[in-house]
Order: sequence, then C-alpha cells, then structure tokens
Amino acid sequence: MLRDKDRYLNIVLVSPSIVAVLIFIYGFIAWSGRVSLSKWKGLTPDYTWNGIRNYLDLFSDPRFAVDIRNTLIFTGVFVGGSLVLGFLLAVMLDQGLRGESFFRSLFLFPMAISYIVTGVVWRWLMNPAMGSRMSGLNLLFANLGLDPLVNAWHTTPKWGMAAIALAAIWQMSGYTMAIYLAGMRSIPHELREAARIDGASEFQIYRRIILPLLAPVTLSALIILGHMSLKVFDLIIAIAGKQLQLDVPAIYMWQATFDGLFYARGAAIGMILLISVAVLIIPYLRYTLKTDSQP
Amino acid sequence: MMTETSGIAIELKNVVKRFPNPGGGEVVAVDHVNLKIRNGEFFSLLGPSGCGKTTSLRMVAGFEWPTEGEIFLNGKAIGRTPPFLRQVNTVFQNYALFQHMTVFQNVAFGLEMEKATKSEIDRRVNAALEMVQLGKLGNRKPRQLSGGQQQRVALARALVKRPAVLLLDEPLGALDMKLRKEMQLELKALQEQVGITFIYVTHDQEEALTMSDRIAVMDRGKALQVGSPVEIYERPNCRFVADFIGETNFISGVVTDISEGLATVRLDFTDREMVGLPQGDVRRGQKVSISVRPEKLRLVQEMAYNIGQVPNSLNSFPVKVITTTYIGSDTRVLVEMNEHIHLRVWEQNRISTLDPQAYYMEGQQVWVTALNENVLVLPEEEG
Repeated sequence: MLRDKDRYLNIVLVSPSIVAVLIFIYGFIAWSGRVSLSKWKGLTPDYTWNGIRNYLDLFSDPRFAVDIRNTLIFTGVFVGGSLVLGFLLAVMLDQGLRGESFFRSLFLFPMAISYIVTGVVWRWLMNPAMGSRMSGLNLLFANLGLDPLVNAWHTTPKWGMAAIALAAIWQMSGYTMAIYLAGMRSIPHELREAARIDGASEFQIYRRIILPLLAPVTLSALIILGHMSLKVFDLIIAIAGKQLQLDVPAIYMWQATFDGLFYARGAAIGMILLISVAVLIIPYLRYTLKTDSQP
Repeated sequence: MMTETSGIAIELKNVVKRFPNPGGGEVVAVDHVNLKIRNGEFFSLLGPSGCGKTTSLRMVAGFEWPTEGEIFLNGKAIGRTPPFLRQVNTVFQNYALFQHMTVFQNVAFGLEMEKATKSEIDRRVNAALEMVQLGKLGNRKPRQLSGGQQQRVALARALVKRPAVLLLDEPLGALDMKLRKEMQLELKALQEQVGITFIYVTHDQEEALTMSDRIAVMDRGKALQVGSPVEIYERPNCRFVADFIGETNFISGVVTDISEGLATVRLDFTDREMVGLPQGDVRRGQKVSISVRPEKLRLVQEMAYNIGQVPNSLNSFPVKVITTTYIGSDTRVLVEMNEHIHLRVWEQNRISTLDPQAYYMEGQQVWVTALNENVLVLPEEEG
C-alpha cells in the first residue's frame, strides 16, 4: 500500500500530463463535436445549433460516397496484401535460412520511413506517363518484355486506389512479417513434430496448425492496419495530390475545413473518422488490456 | 535375411549421434549405444539430464538421424526414414496438443492426413477416446481439460494410428505427484491392454522401477546397464548405476582375493576386509568400490557370528552410532567405522513401542553386518 504522502506526490507529478491530455485531446474532441453540430461556415465562428444536419448531408453527399468506396478499396487491398505478404515472408524466414536477421531488418526498414517519403518514391515508381516519358516500374516492365503489366497505376479509373495501397503494402508488410514471425517462434516445436508424425506436409502444418494458432496475431495486425487505412492521408497527397478520383474522408476533411472554410462539415467528417477508428480500436484495447493484466 | 531379430521390435546397433557445438567442435550425445527392445515390452531409458536418453528416443522417432550406426524396426532399417513413414508414434512431454482444435479433432488429425474415410475416423477416434476414458469429452478444447486429461488426449492421439512402438518422453513430468502415481499405474495397464511396445524416457528412477519390464540406465551418451528393475537395483554393474538407482553406501578398497565367485576386498583406511559379489570386470589387485544399500545393512548389539546370522564373519564390524532419525516406517542410522568410513543403515521398525531404549542411541557402540550377496564389488570408474 502506498503511504498518503507518496500518493499525493504521485498525483502532483502526473497531473500536468493529465491536464494536457484532458485539454488538448478530449477538450478538442469535444469542441470538434460541438462544431460538427453547428452551422459554422467561413472565417467567423458560428455555433448556431444545427443538430445532426451536417452528418445527414454527408451521407447524401456524392463526394463522401466516393470517399467511402475508396477507403474500402484501399483497406481491402492494403490490409489483405500486407497480411498475405507478411505471412509469406514470415514463413520464408521461419525456415531458418542463413542471414535471417539481415532479411528481417531489410523487410522491416520501410516501416521506419514516413508515408510522405514512401509516397515520393512510389510517385516516381508508379509514374503513369507512357511512351518516351515512361519511367519507374512501367519502364522496367516494358524493358523486361512484360508489356501487359504496364498500366496507369493510380490514374486508373475506379481502381486507382489499389495502386496507392501497393505503396502502403510495401511499407507495412515488414511489420506483419515481424509479428507473424514472433508468433511462429512462440509456438512450441513439439506441435510441428506432432503434426509431422501424423503425416502433415509442411504446407498443411502452416495451413492447419500454425495459421489457426496465430489467429490472435492476425487480429492484432488487422486492427492496427485497419485503423491506419481509415486515416490514410499523407501517402495519397504525396503520390497524387488532391484528386477527386483518389479522395478519402481525411482529404475531404482537410479540403472542407481549410480550403473551403466549411468548418462544421469538416468537423463532422472528423467525428465520423474518430468513431469508425474507435469501433475498431476500443474492443481491441479492452481485450488486450484484460489479457495482459491476467497473471 | 532371417536374423535373431524376430521378437525384437526396436534395435539400436552401434548408434552414435554427434551435434555440432555452437562454440566449435562436436558434442557426442549418444555414444555407440546397442539396445534390443522386445515386442510388447515396457522399456525405459533412465538417466540424468544430458545422458542421451531423449536424443536416443528422438532418433527412434525419426526427428534426428543417427550419425553412425543403424536403427531397426521389426528387422528393417529405419534410421533415415521420415517420422510419418515409421510405425512409431510419440507422446510429448508437454502433450503438444493443438489448442485450436477439439479433443476429437486432435485425435482425428493423423487419420485425416491419411485420408481415412469419415466413418472410419469416427469409429477409430471414438474407440481411442473410449480407451483412455475420455469418451464424453470429444467436443471440449484441450485448455478446458485438466493436466491428466490432456495427457490422455495425447495418448489417444498417438494410439489411434496403431503404431508398432509408442515413444513417451517424460510424459508425466508436468503432473503433480499424486496424479503422477495414478497415471503410472494407468499407463502400465493401458500398455498391457493394447500390447504395444512402449519406450519410456524418464529421469525418475522410482517411476522407471515401477513401470518397466526392462530399463536401460544411461549416462554421458552410453547405455551402462540393461536389465529388469530387480537386476538393475540388486545387481548394478557399475558405480554410476548403483548410485543413480536408489541409495547406497560406497566404500573404496583393493581386491585381495577372488575365489568361488566371491571377492575379498581390503578397505582403504582400515586393515579390515569385506567379502562380496564381484560385478563386471573385477580382478585381484584392482581398486574397487563396494556398494551396500542402507536397507541391507543390519545393526546388532553383539558380534554377528555369535548369533549365526552371518556365516562369514568378515562382513561384521564394530561401529559407533552418530545420528538416528526416526521416519516412521524405519529409523535411519548413520554409523561410523572410522573417521573415513561412514555408513547409512535403515532399520525397519518392526516392533511398535514408545520405549526410547528400543531405538539406537547416539554414541552407542554396535556391530554392523551384511550378507555376502548384499555386498557388491564394483570396478572403480576411470576419470
């Protein structure tokens, strides 16, 4: 038990950060919430009550519909691709090959780079220009005689978002590789031997034993990657700038608020993003905190 | 080729296993081991950790290949056959159950891999679960079961494939003492029921003595002695085996005479001699260790030949009682022959009395005696 004196000292020491968190995080969330329920448009604040009008408008807004569709494409390709590629890389490193730690670092490095830098690199790699101005991956494909692979990347109508997701996969599959590999290493060796005695092939061992046992790892990766893809902003800006074709809620929020001065609408988009991320993260945090605190 | 292997389930012939040492060089885990394990036998590999018993088992299982020598299953060489092509199955120390599958699915996994039909899988899995008394728990997940029940699932999973030989690597190590004793009896009964050859790895000598038909005692990669529990305990062939199995007193000395199957040994630090059974290669003039188990020494008030208990009076010495410890079933007495030779003697408490005079007292002068056949003369180990 803490003595009373220690207890007061503890409270005094943590109170500055508690106050800062209360004001700058929860205070501003509350303020954004209030703005999203107002009629604020233009430079002068206007807190006239508007109810959930802004939200209703958004759901009948064709631009917001495009945003949701783009987010779904991005999430599907990015999360699916990172999980599959990360798992395959982990399986490869799990075979105990020489220079494993080198490859582990190699695959993890992209994670250390910011989305802006990734975006700049991939903007060049995925340059959609054709003919004499061809560069990057398209030029590589053309020189290798893989002409069918030459494509318009993020300028492809409707599916351009998938190209953006490729860059994100490149950045994050090292992370899924790392957590899958750690998970595989924590599975007792006897389980594989037991499966091997039973006549399971290496593929069957991964498919029937390892992958199901790694379900909690998959769930973690799904949530971490999922909430990242909901918030994606800088990667798209760096690769393609603000284009309606590659629009997502975060870009719409930026443009509505700072380019269009529709503060109330921007705040409403922000709140929708916050709620959708919270729906993913809160059950996950509750689950992990609960399991961590168990002895 | 017809050999004398009929009746022999597993044979290890000159098996050597070396592992590369991370710091350079090699470690010899198994050193020219020769074993013949009979069909339907409960055979234990017993030894301290690092003695090579688990490596030997893993070579029979197929997880490791012998560096030299060969392993035979029913006369066929299997040293380099992959595990699932051997009629051998393993029960792991930590059970190695698939936590994401039900008990039924765990047991069925091997049959599914064999592409058995659904009705056959149902029939055989249920029979296996019935055999280990888990018939009603097929739908549970392993983590919902107790340690003993998980152990049974692991057994059922191994037995459902009808192996010729079942390998068990310290399967009871994770259980508490009481459950362990129960499972020992149950395992033994199960083995007799299914008639499969069991090879059982343990470091627990009591467990090995309780369950085994025969035991191989291993140390530093070598199989030192192979025999029935009685042979291993009563006639150990070297100092290590005598020391590892049960408790014993060692007295060092030099052989002065061998005649009529008995060796006479002059004890170091005394001018006294003892007579006992020579074990292994014992010659005149050789340095030896005498081993006498504490329960086989007797304390008497008078010199032994007077009461006709020991025909040859040589194994009868005056000693002084140092300490006595009453532990219920017997009284453990430490006696001193001289400052170099102390002996532990376990006197069974055959008579119930509260009279302290009936038990040996510290400082008391008594005689210690041993029958010739209770005195084993073992060659001194080199090194």
